[in-house]
Amino acid sequence: MSIEMTEEAVPVGQPTGVTRRQFIVTGTSGFMLQFCLPGVSRAAAALGAPAPVKMNSYIVIHANSTATIYFGGCELGQGAMSGLAQLAAEELMLDWSQVVTQTVLPDSISYITGGSSAIRTNYLPVRQAGAAVRTMLIEAAAARWKVPVAQCTASNGEVTDTVSKRILSYGNLAAAAAKLSPPSKPFLVADAKLRLIGKSMPRLDLPDKVNGRAIYGIDVRVPNMLYAAVKHCPSLGGTLASTPGNPGGGVVAVVPLGNAVAMVAGTTWDAMSAFDEMEISWNIPASSKAIDSTVFSTEATTIMAQGPVVPAEVIGNAASAMAGAAKVHDATYSFPYLAHACMEVLNCTVSITAAGCEIWAPTQAAAWVQGTAAALTGLPLSKITVHTTLMGGGLGRKIEQDYIAQAVKVAMAVKAPVKLMWPREEDFGKDMYRPMVLSHVKAGLDAYHRVVAWENRIVSPSIQAQRGWISAGSEDGQSTEGATSLPYAMATRLVQYGAHPSPVPIGFWRSVGHSYNAFVVETFIDELAMIAGVDPYTYRRGLLINNERYLAVLDAAATLGDYTSPVPSGHARGIAIAEAFGTVVAEVVEIANATSTSVDVLTVACAVDCGRVINPDSVTAQMQGGIVHGLSAALWGHITFANGVASVSNFDNYRLVRMPEMPAVSVHLLPSTNPPTGAGEPGVPPLAPALANAYFKLTGQRVRSLPFFPTQSTMGDD
Amino acid sequence: MIALNVNGVVHEVNVSSNDTPLLWVLRDILGMTGTKYGCGIEVCGACTVLIDGEPERCCQVGVGEAQGRMITTVEGLSADGKSHPLQQAWIQLQVPQCGYCQSGMLMCAAALLQNNPQPADSDIDEISNVCVCGTYQRIRAAIKLAATL
Repeated sequence: MSIEMTEEAVPVGQPTGVTRRQFIVTGTSGFMLQFCLPGVSRAAAALGAPAPVKMNSYIVIHANSTATIYFGGCELGQGAMSGLAQLAAEELMLDWSQVVTQTVLPDSISYITGGSSAIRTNYLPVRQAGAAVRTMLIEAAAARWKVPVAQCTASNGEVTDTVSKRILSYGNLAAAAAKLSPPSKPFLVADAKLRLIGKSMPRLDLPDKVNGRAIYGIDVRVPNMLYAAVKHCPSLGGTLASTPGNPGGGVVAVVPLGNAVAMVAGTTWDAMSAFDEMEISWNIPASSKAIDSTVFSTEATTIMAQGPVVPAEVIGNAASAMAGAAKVHDATYSFPYLAHACMEVLNCTVSITAAGCEIWAPTQAAAWVQGTAAALTGLPLSKITVHTTLMGGGLGRKIEQDYIAQAVKVAMAVKAPVKLMWPREEDFGKDMYRPMVLSHVKAGLDAYHRVVAWENRIVSPSIQAQRGWISAGSEDGQSTEGATSLPYAMATRLVQYGAHPSPVPIGFWRSVGHSYNAFVVETFIDELAMIAGVDPYTYRRGLLINNERYLAVLDAAATLGDYTSPVPSGHARGIAIAEAFGTVVAEVVEIANATSTSVDVLTVACAVDCGRVINPDSVTAQMQGGIVHGLSAALWGHITFANGVASVSNFDNYRLVRMPEMPAVSVHLLPSTNPPTGAGEPGVPPLAPALANAYFKLTGQRVRSLPFFPTQSTMGDD
Repeated sequence: MIALNVNGVVHEVNVSSNDTPLLWVLRDILGMTGTKYGCGIEVCGACTVLIDGEPERCCQVGVGEAQGRMITTVEGLSADGKSHPLQQAWIQLQVPQCGYCQSGMLMCAAALLQNNPQPADSDIDEISNVCVCGTYQRIRAAIKLAATL
């Protein structure tokens, strides 16, 4: 089948109804409907760029009446491709066994996968596309039978004439359907008739993940491919002073890369091990040696005290209300840089021939990869083909382009196909880290312990400003997300942001600003509850008066986590609630054996309102994963810098939760027919504050600086 | 030339040094990419294979050491790629997320069940592999399920 691309702009973001231009149908030897998924792009939003307006997703009906659904996004492990396929299959009236998914066709335009967006932004467009296809197939059948459309129904890849009981398969109808115009307003399947949405359909990508057949970026093999390993200057800001000579031992080329150098050989090992005995000469400027975490702390403290700060949220006159408060309480919190630590290290495979440049990459942003390669090769975008592979985690790191650019440069230099890989030490040492944060919060309470004034000042490097997406020093919504628009009754509020310019490259980490702001808000609310002499759950309920959505989630977590039941001796329970990416999550953490160096996290009860749930088991898995992510970071996660060098080089000094530390996680999804909201990230934010609140009950110690146990962050092979 | 018995098939491989880790011979020379690179220092366990039935982190096992021994990788768990009890349990309980660490997890679990058909929680805790997605709870349940299959 030929794939016809279009440059035509299409309207996007219309919640109801579609226009014909939103779909393009081709059918030279079958049926293909092209449509556009918006995905999400913080970058595009920040830059004021329009949402993608090119066809980036497709539904193809095959001769055997099955469908392949091509999505312009990627599978990071979150189950998004399966979830989207469920939506399409629902409307196509196909059985779950009749659909397969693929990421975008090589020459199409992709959308960016991030921001817990896969389902929440693509839910309606995918359903509409599936419904359009189903409608056209039914229309084609009705036309062939010369019967009214309303007399025909579709199911399991067949259209049935309900009067004569005649049946035609989708495969049989595909060619005729392709000649029809897509409906302007396809009808969606009614809620009462949903077969797949809301059901835990088995994920389509898992069978190949239990037998070694799944191909991640690092597994790509191209004929006559060479292998490249990269080593960067250990100090941030340093550059290669001179290109090392070829050390032999199988190395076929040494390629300078500015702040790094690549060894190219016949195997990954020959390339990696070439660095072992090698002295590499780096230019390390004085400014690099000044990159130091103690300096960062001083800078942040100064900005906190002296500004400049800009307002992020102003409601009423908090200063005046604070002055009149019966009781004022404040606290300062600090958070470290964090690594992404995706299990699959950064890698990219590039083949450049006379026909163009072909790239296989684990990437959350294939369209950016195309642009990166076009800029380096001088080739037009039409000559750059990007294959998005499965990813061994992305977590925001695989949006970046650094490893892509290196692979293209090396392939250009050696004039052969190359798979470039970062050894784990490079992956930790040259991450785009979760920013450090200093946060100060102050609350004024009246005589009844109501919050009459709330002031929160957040000092942090801005991811967006570092990339030039927003001007330096301006309010950065990502740094303050989760600190503004709080659900609690607070008479006045002042949330301020202080930009802390940092030489450390920073990036998007699971739940971004929510990952620390929720900790500040939710542990401080606990402190206010103690001042009020009220249990923190009860105190929150009071502050959430009339907020039915939050109360329902909070109560569900409390019930699931037995919050109000007697606590076994030596145990304690903490609770926290936070909203991220439209989803409200509350978690109850039960702990025991808390000391100054460890704690046993026994159970985590998690209640979630993420709107309509497409695949309950997938959402549950995302919550379980988010909780583990949040727990590893809370207990041990931190990276510091000295002389421009990151303190972490491998998993042996970046400890993560493993089997023995895994709490028993239970998840309750609140039923909802509201539009779906995010699932990938919202499980993270409430974990750390719920843990800290439990830890306080057991030890009397308030944790205001993460991680809990920075001296316990090594991990052996035991 | 080194002769390697992988999943019952003998392969003759040419390596620059007998110290070349088995991991990279499997992946780059034999093209068996199911075994994954994670850390290169025997900590994360993504590269776990069975050597003579014992789980080994093959990122630091020189290929010379593996010569003449029985190597089993995830590709060799079952002939059809789905019928090993662990594979069945893994799918039934929808264990993987990104899936990258799962080859190593499966091989550790296979070794565990071989030696201990009814493992207790404390036995499962001995698996010290890293899963960044946090699938531990499902792995635990799937091992117990596989023990009944």
